[in-house]
Amino acid sequence: MIEKYIPYIGKEFIDELFLISRKLKGIKVLHVNSTKEGGGVAEILNRLVPLMNELGIETDWQIIKGDRTFFNFTKKLHNLLHMPGKEEINSDEIVYYLKITYENMNQIDTENYDVIFIHDPQPMGLVIKKQPGQKWIWRCHIDTSTPDPKAWHFLENFLNAYDACIFHMPEFAYEGITIPTYIIAPSIDPLHPKHIELSQEEIINTLTRFGINPEKPIILQVSRFDRLKDPFGVLKAYKLVKKKYDCQVVLVGAFAPDDPEGEQVYKELLNFATGDKDIFILNLPPNSHKEINAFQRGATVVVQKSLKEGFGLVVSEAMWKAKPVIGSNVGGIKRQIVHGITGYLVNSIEGTAVRIRYLLANPEIRKTMGFHAKERVRHRFLIIRHLRDYLLLINRLLKNND
Amino acid sequence: MGNSFIFKTELWISKYTGIKVYTIRDFIEALKVIDKLSLFYHVYINMFKYHDLPVHYSNSFAYWLYKNNYILLAEKISAIDPVDYYDLEDLRRDLVHILETNYDEKIKRELTPFYFRKAERQILELGYQAKDLKEFIESFKNSSINSLFYHLITSKLEKKSLINDYSEWLISIGEAKKAEFINKLDIYSDNLYDIKKKILNILEDKK
Repeated sequence: MIEKYIPYIGKEFIDELFLISRKLKGIKVLHVNSTKEGGGVAEILNRLVPLMNELGIETDWQIIKGDRTFFNFTKKLHNLLHMPGKEEINSDEIVYYLKITYENMNQIDTENYDVIFIHDPQPMGLVIKKQPGQKWIWRCHIDTSTPDPKAWHFLENFLNAYDACIFHMPEFAYEGITIPTYIIAPSIDPLHPKHIELSQEEIINTLTRFGINPEKPIILQVSRFDRLKDPFGVLKAYKLVKKKYDCQVVLVGAFAPDDPEGEQVYKELLNFATGDKDIFILNLPPNSHKEINAFQRGATVVVQKSLKEGFGLVVSEAMWKAKPVIGSNVGGIKRQIVHGITGYLVNSIEGTAVRIRYLLANPEIRKTMGFHAKERVRHRFLIIRHLRDYLLLINRLLKNND
Repeated sequence: MGNSFIFKTELWISKYTGIKVYTIRDFIEALKVIDKLSLFYHVYINMFKYHDLPVHYSNSFAYWLYKNNYILLAEKISAIDPVDYYDLEDLRRDLVHILETNYDEKIKRELTPFYFRKAERQILELGYQAKDLKEFIESFKNSSINSLFYHLITSKLEKKSLINDYSEWLISIGEAKKAEFINKLDIYSDNLYDIKKKILNILEDKK
């Protein structure tokens, strides 16, 4: 499997991975999270775990169990870590979290491992099983830059019992952390169906299947139907662009059946689009990877106009397809887009429109920016770099050669 | 170094130091005391991270100053060529001096924060070495740009030397002219893939 990455990054980088791995021969690594399928964490572990084994590092992946009450609480905790809300966590929920954590302690074998990666808050309490000599690492996949203080404090009690923690960006590391804090950006997998090469025919067929004209410029945003992704802002920018260019706008997203807010946003968007046949609001099933791939490859300009964003890896997904991306100057978007080189960072609807117009008017600039965008992802946001960072961290912690 | 050249590579991870600053004054004060590997991260590693892109500023200090509308300071800081240094304390002294002498203390405003990180480095031997020019060329072809980055730039800091590893070894085998050409390459202004091609041309006398 690992040799399949050579065409994307070169053999010499794979050779270096094997060099680090040799230093880790004989160790056992465990990853723990809360789901085997769905979501970015499971997606990355599905690939990382086999790759680590292929490199000769015995690596397992275990999932914690929990009931609806437990996961309702961890979902609430997740939201509150993202930003303060009307709700707050209460003592009954904390007691229940500890109860389920205790049950999982008996289910999840951590004793036979040298290094344990715990992903996100759900399995975080397992750290009370930590044994002398083991290295426990908490991998945070969410934006905790402005958390609800009470939710963060709850987390902090477990967090500082770990040997190290990892955030996507230093901005996400909130106060009170006393353990070594590493910064490792997330990544995309070029071998995932969402990112594999597609023929021009496949791209055109997908676009036409949804009624999109492949001959007419396409402005695309891929994101769930959420006001924080500012889909209405994208449509308003499109309306400004439309005065000068005969173009189409495609908003591709999904909403879960149990997400009333998502459904409401979707309906409002459909209402907004009424009467304009060049607006496409597409609610796709969660595993529409090839369709998303085709939309991103078929787009002329990709937009990510979020009002708030965690890392926003969807930006790198489009950049990997050699597309210039116009993104809001927030969160991880500003870490991915190099303004004026791989796309543009914008702060308003008008700013978005003017950059779209510029790129529609200048195909050569699009091509150059797209080239640089792809190169940026190749060096910074592919899974092999992510894997290498994990191996270096493991080596660092086990050898304690700070 | 002896007569054999041992090819190595350099990898790193980024560690957050916990230091963040909101003003130029605090930035200067932090620069005076931060770990040398923090300077290394923001100047050298950043240069590597962006070597293949035509960016306006290739170190993160200059980019932060630019984003916060300190254009003069950004320009002066970006004019520092890290390849000219072999001691990070000299680099620190020059950075602080430039900021102190060009910063107008009367302008006081809060900026977007700067987060100081540091690099945790790992130097690895690639497992091949060269005893003569022919072997050197073959091994060099298999080297990654991480390896070039180490031998051309950062090993100078370890040795406190102004001459890079390749040139030093080439001199030792009587290839002083090639060594000189390589040592004069403008690494700060070029990308490492092109630098690799240029070195190969020099080694194979195609220059």
